[in-house]
Amino acid sequence: MNVSLNELQSVCRKAFLGMGFAVGHADDAAAMVTWLQSHGLQGLSVLTKNMACVTAATSRQRPQIVFEDDGLAVVDGQNLSVLASGNLAMELAYTKATKQGFAAVRMQQCRQRQLIVGYLARLAGRGINVTACWRHSQSPLLEQVVNFRAGSTVPSITATTVSEPVPVDATHDDLTVFMAKHLELMPETTVQGQQAVQYRRDEAEFTLARKAALQQGMTVSPDVWNQLKAFAALTLVQASEASRTGAGPSD
Amino acid sequence: MTELTHTFEEPSLSLRTPATVMDLERLGSFSPTRLSFARRLTRMMFQQKWQVSCTQFELDALGHGEAVYRLQTPTHRYHVVIFSQYLEDDRRTDRVIAEAWDLTFCLVEGDVDPELMSAMAANVPLQEAGRQHPKLLVISRANKSMRNFEAFVSALASGQQPHIDYVREAGYLYRTTAVYGNGKFGIADYDRVKGSVDFEQPFSAQMAAVYILREFSVDQVEHIARQRDPSRAMTLDTDTRRYLGIGNSTGLGMAPFLINHPQLISQWILARERALATAYSQTPDEPGRQRLVQLCRRAMVYLGESQIEDDAQAERNLVARDELAQVIAWLEQVALEPDLWRRLVEWSETFQSLETQELINTLLIELYPQQVDALNDAMSAEENLDLVPDMPLVELRQILETHFDWAINADYESDETRYWFWYQSAEKEEPRLGIRAEEQGAEKELGLAIAPMAEQVYRHLNALLQKQPAGLTIELVMRHPEHMAAVRRIQTMAATVYGEIRANLWHRDMKPMHLLRAKLSFLGAHGFDPRGDRWVRVTFFQGAPLLSDFGDASTDPRRFDDWSFPVAPAKAAVASVA
Repeated sequence: MNVSLNELQSVCRKAFLGMGFAVGHADDAAAMVTWLQSHGLQGLSVLTKNMACVTAATSRQRPQIVFEDDGLAVVDGQNLSVLASGNLAMELAYTKATKQGFAAVRMQQCRQRQLIVGYLARLAGRGINVTACWRHSQSPLLEQVVNFRAGSTVPSITATTVSEPVPVDATHDDLTVFMAKHLELMPETTVQGQQAVQYRRDEAEFTLARKAALQQGMTVSPDVWNQLKAFAALTLVQASEASRTGAGPSD
Repeated sequence: MTELTHTFEEPSLSLRTPATVMDLERLGSFSPTRLSFARRLTRMMFQQKWQVSCTQFELDALGHGEAVYRLQTPTHRYHVVIFSQYLEDDRRTDRVIAEAWDLTFCLVEGDVDPELMSAMAANVPLQEAGRQHPKLLVISRANKSMRNFEAFVSALASGQQPHIDYVREAGYLYRTTAVYGNGKFGIADYDRVKGSVDFEQPFSAQMAAVYILREFSVDQVEHIARQRDPSRAMTLDTDTRRYLGIGNSTGLGMAPFLINHPQLISQWILARERALATAYSQTPDEPGRQRLVQLCRRAMVYLGESQIEDDAQAERNLVARDELAQVIAWLEQVALEPDLWRRLVEWSETFQSLETQELINTLLIELYPQQVDALNDAMSAEENLDLVPDMPLVELRQILETHFDWAINADYESDETRYWFWYQSAEKEEPRLGIRAEEQGAEKELGLAIAPMAEQVYRHLNALLQKQPAGLTIELVMRHPEHMAAVRRIQTMAATVYGEIRANLWHRDMKPMHLLRAKLSFLGAHGFDPRGDRWVRVTFFQGAPLLSDFGDASTDPRRFDDWSFPVAPAKAAVASVA
């Protein structure tokens, strides 16, 4: 089925509220998923592949700070989706970067890391350079780097394979984000040794994807839509005669 | 006396303060102005020489079928496609929970090919239950005003004009029950039309669709009359046709918009207040005074003619009509001094109702089109509530104490002050209002009551400041993640001139009708007629120029601009009641 951006964001927002997210966090989570979907990054697919790590979040979810100083923070994502508290972790990084010039935040044990790109777009739009990187636990190991220039709401994304040996018990569930006020962090991804670029997408591609989504809407699987609507329905109150008095005349 | 404040951008303009303007009861007394979106549309159509024509009119003898109207602007082409169908009387309801209507229609960007027409025919009549095409900018539906519709057809078919009472009683043949834009049910997102010269301003596409429906309503009535009796049927008198608008029936569904789009609403209010401050700052002259008297007289006739069912609103209208007579008397007695407008407003604020005070403001704005019309271009907003995480908590506290003093000092614990809760009903997901102590669903409350949220933020902020005097906003939201939305909003709205609507939306005395009236005034609705305290009927485009006026080079240009507070055509134009 074909849906509009506003429609998708609205149903996602209600779905997150239905899952128990607080209002501001439901707003952010919905914006993140919609950002990815409207820029051709399959936000809904990422979301629905592991709903359990989203629904396990509580309405007062926040990242647990493991270590913090003026320019660095390590936070525990508690094995939840980045939708649960990634927005707060990124705002923490933003605060440190605006104070110190640059900052790094490492979010450990977090799921659905791709979805954070939607929030980073917002922060970059506020005028800060942002680079995020993480490794996917697949074979061969894939390293993904997302780079936003300050003021730009679309990134360039590069994924490279990593051939260096990694410990067998490595979990690859963390996310590292650098933010800098004045430094453009990564004009180009450096590929070394046995690394091979798997894909590279530039800003123009994302801009075009967004334009197409606005022109034609976005295709969403009815199953996914119904899943979201089912969560959204949890926010609704069953109609009664009293409630119908607000529904217009009774003629 | 109203307190005034100077704007940062325009130090010469004295704007009314947010405490005055954002009071809910005052907002609920607003009348449409020349900046209202319906007025803006007809001005723009005239200035840009829009070409509008009917390209398809395939209706049967009962008026059922399809019609298409083409709108050609200087840069783009659009079509309004209308589907008219037979509807059993027992299915005709204005309630949002209706599933069928006398007609459904849409505004389409670009041309309509057979494939698109087929997709629209299959989905537009279903409205919410359909999946709409992304080329559609607006979808809507309307029901007949049965008494008027049949009276008009019968009169015209028998070679008569309809009785003037029908014309006066309900100034429309059709009543819309919802006009959807911005991505609803698959149609185009507002973001797509942003940047387009035609429909960038909020609700401009919706207004265009409704304007064309008004034209269709008479075309259809004349068509049915011709089919009924081709030898005797006549067309509707032009003045009567011009006096007909399109009705609209609106419930609580409109209210959350004002709360959920605070930057936009603040911008609308700012445009209106800047127009008013501009008018105040002009030096009155005798033609201006005479023009104001003339406008007051027209508004008096309009108020006197309005057939309002709601007793309270009817009474407000009568009081306003009588008070406008006092205004005329005052204007005719007082010397033409440079501060005449200011003195008029101060006198009215001292002795007259809010309804009349805001009517006077509306009419003062009317006097200075050259100075105020450009303000229409500043009525959209980049809506983005962003956190300022590095803002010191002492600064956030200062913002709350300065801009949200009305909220943080109120009580939210008594039965009276937390009487209502807003929620979304399972029926078509419409917003509703429930009594907290009596109805189910308070745990699913919509976060529309900003005032108690601000108060809670203030309380937690003060507690944190005790421990961390140098703390930052990020520390507050890390500790209280549930305040993320409220803190963002407080920080963002503090940077606007008018900020929030100042009311506790939980309070027993809160009148949701004021929210509806405020929004409807900006859209350009006349004939505000509340039915109970939760829904209202209004009329759009009554008195507006006709398509034939646009096509007639001899039409007085004022007809395209000066049509507020419409009065019924003279009896000579229509049959009088037997």
